[in-house]
Amino acid sequence: MKLVDKLTLWLVGVVFLVTPISMVISYRSIRDNIRSAEITRLQDVNNKVAEQLKAGIPPHKYLLDRPIAIKQISAMPAQNTKASTYRFYNTELKRDECRLDVVSYYKINNLIYSVSTYNYVTRGELIIQGMMRALVWKMILIIGLVAISGRLISRYVLSPFQKTLEIIQAFSLRQKEKITLPLTSTTEFKQLNFFLKKMTDIALEDYSRVKEFSENASHEVQTPLAVIRSKLELLSETSISENQAVLIDDMQNAVEKLVRINRSLLLLTKLDNFEFEASESIRFCLITKEVLASFENWIQMKNLCITTNINNKVSLQIHSVLAEILVTNLISNAIRYNIDNGNIDVTLTSNSLIIKNTGLPPEIEPELLFRRFKKSNQSADSIGLGLSIVKQICTVNNFKVSYTFANGLHILQVNFAKVREVIEEPEENVEIVFNENTALA
Amino acid sequence: MKVLALEDNKELAKSINDFLTLAGYICELVDTVEEAKDKLLSFSYDCILLDIMLPDGNGLDVLKFIKTENIKSGVLIISAKEALDDKIIGLEGGADDYLTKPFHLSELHARLRAIYRRKSLNGNNSNIITFNEISLNTDTFEAFINNQLLDITRKEFELLMYFMVNKNRVLSRQAIAAHLWGDYTDNLANLDFVYQHVKNLRKKISLINGVDYIDTIYGLGYRFKSTETEI
Repeated sequence: MKLVDKLTLWLVGVVFLVTPISMVISYRSIRDNIRSAEITRLQDVNNKVAEQLKAGIPPHKYLLDRPIAIKQISAMPAQNTKASTYRFYNTELKRDECRLDVVSYYKINNLIYSVSTYNYVTRGELIIQGMMRALVWKMILIIGLVAISGRLISRYVLSPFQKTLEIIQAFSLRQKEKITLPLTSTTEFKQLNFFLKKMTDIALEDYSRVKEFSENASHEVQTPLAVIRSKLELLSETSISENQAVLIDDMQNAVEKLVRINRSLLLLTKLDNFEFEASESIRFCLITKEVLASFENWIQMKNLCITTNINNKVSLQIHSVLAEILVTNLISNAIRYNIDNGNIDVTLTSNSLIIKNTGLPPEIEPELLFRRFKKSNQSADSIGLGLSIVKQICTVNNFKVSYTFANGLHILQVNFAKVREVIEEPEENVEIVFNENTALA
Repeated sequence: MKVLALEDNKELAKSINDFLTLAGYICELVDTVEEAKDKLLSFSYDCILLDIMLPDGNGLDVLKFIKTENIKSGVLIISAKEALDDKIIGLEGGADDYLTKPFHLSELHARLRAIYRRKSLNGNNSNIITFNEISLNTDTFEAFINNQLLDITRKEFELLMYFMVNKNRVLSRQAIAAHLWGDYTDNLANLDFVYQHVKNLRKKISLINGVDYIDTIYGLGYRFKSTETEI
């Protein structure tokens, strides 16, 4: 629920709670005021009658349009004025009436008189009814105005908050830029902005420091690796025994692995930094074919049957190096994890690249293989970064990649974001089939 | 061939020097930009190896210097920085090739030879590499043994050329794999693949009665043996 709605509801709730109480209070005060004003007026009439009695003028039956009743009583009561209300049903008007009687006592010439007069006053119910009608209007007006003004004011008051939200939503550690939050006079928003600014600045600094470290570390490792590699090469030129040769080979393999891990990590870092800007679209179909051709020998060596269905008109906006790495990693995986005499099916359409291959079922959830250093079986054949790189390349290019295993087939599917150029020509599909009978070239 | 290597890491520089000296080249080492400029003004070299990050400057400055002084040497950049920008700037700045660390010395050698062929021989038969009865045409990717066409694939051609450039050198399977398939592939299984390729190549050479110069060095890799050394 929106903040403004919440506040509006609370406000309306308070109004609903306060209104009956205030109504009772105002009803009482109105009623009492009317009554006391009327009493004062009637008392005045009584006083005038008393003065007439004092002056010996026989009083009229009415004075100032008020009917007057004069009685002689024996004793003076404690209060010299008594007011009482008398309710009855007026059969002519068919409604309840309320009569206010005021009796005053006077001592005139040692005789005690009670002078009484009365008037009809407005009944409490009528007042309440009137107030109720006003109340309904009042409530409608209050709710309506609160709702409307709440929205208008919140738009104005909360606008710095909204802007802050937008900025935070768009914030990414990778963009390297510190955020600038809107100025506001609201204390809470000032505090919020202050915290956010501080937090994001620190996060940015930490992130760039970590990144710088890993980049530098990777770069710094390159030279010692080059030294080791070159020394091993020189060492293998010297006269060495077979045992030593095997040791050197093991070392070379380890160095090789280090080099590849390091290169792959550097590549991933660069992908994180968006260092590969695709300025123009490339013929993705050509790259796919080139990569396939480069693996031809390997495919034949493993006796794999490959079927390709490649749309010749696929252009994508992607850096050519990345496109090559993407396809190479996918296809080399499809070959490496294939079984002997297995199948590979490569389908490239303008929307997606699908590579299906036979192979042993994965030992872990296929999607997990996109994580760094995750391997289905921890064999030394790979370093476990190939699919992470695929994933990262897809991410920076807004492609979607998925990995499923079904019916004995590993299926890797890359969905392209959108096709930049559709060349309006009838599709030409090329089918190349290498089968077991193809001689090793 | 006379080579100037600008590399600030002493150990690596020594390795390069040792390897190139073994190959019969004259190699001079410098480790600062200033020294390199001095040497370049005083002597002439066939090839220059340039590191990018140096204690007193950037190798790309030396590259600019080479171009402004109109020095005709071939330039091979060797850098730990794999940034594509550097690669592009380097190549656009007039470098002939770019090699990222850590490289195999045999790869460095192959690249140097390629530059040397393109540059120094002025295109005159520069596309032909010969050794005894074997000749390779680097333009058409055709190999001949005693003028008889050898039916080999592109990769096998590259392999043979790599062997011929690095004669009498032990070529590890790792170096061969990196040469043939590049660095970016996450493919350590390619080592068996190297074995297959070498096997196929040898088979094809023997099919047309060529001499098999390729030796298997147990545990290490292969060597293309010849008694001559090329200068």
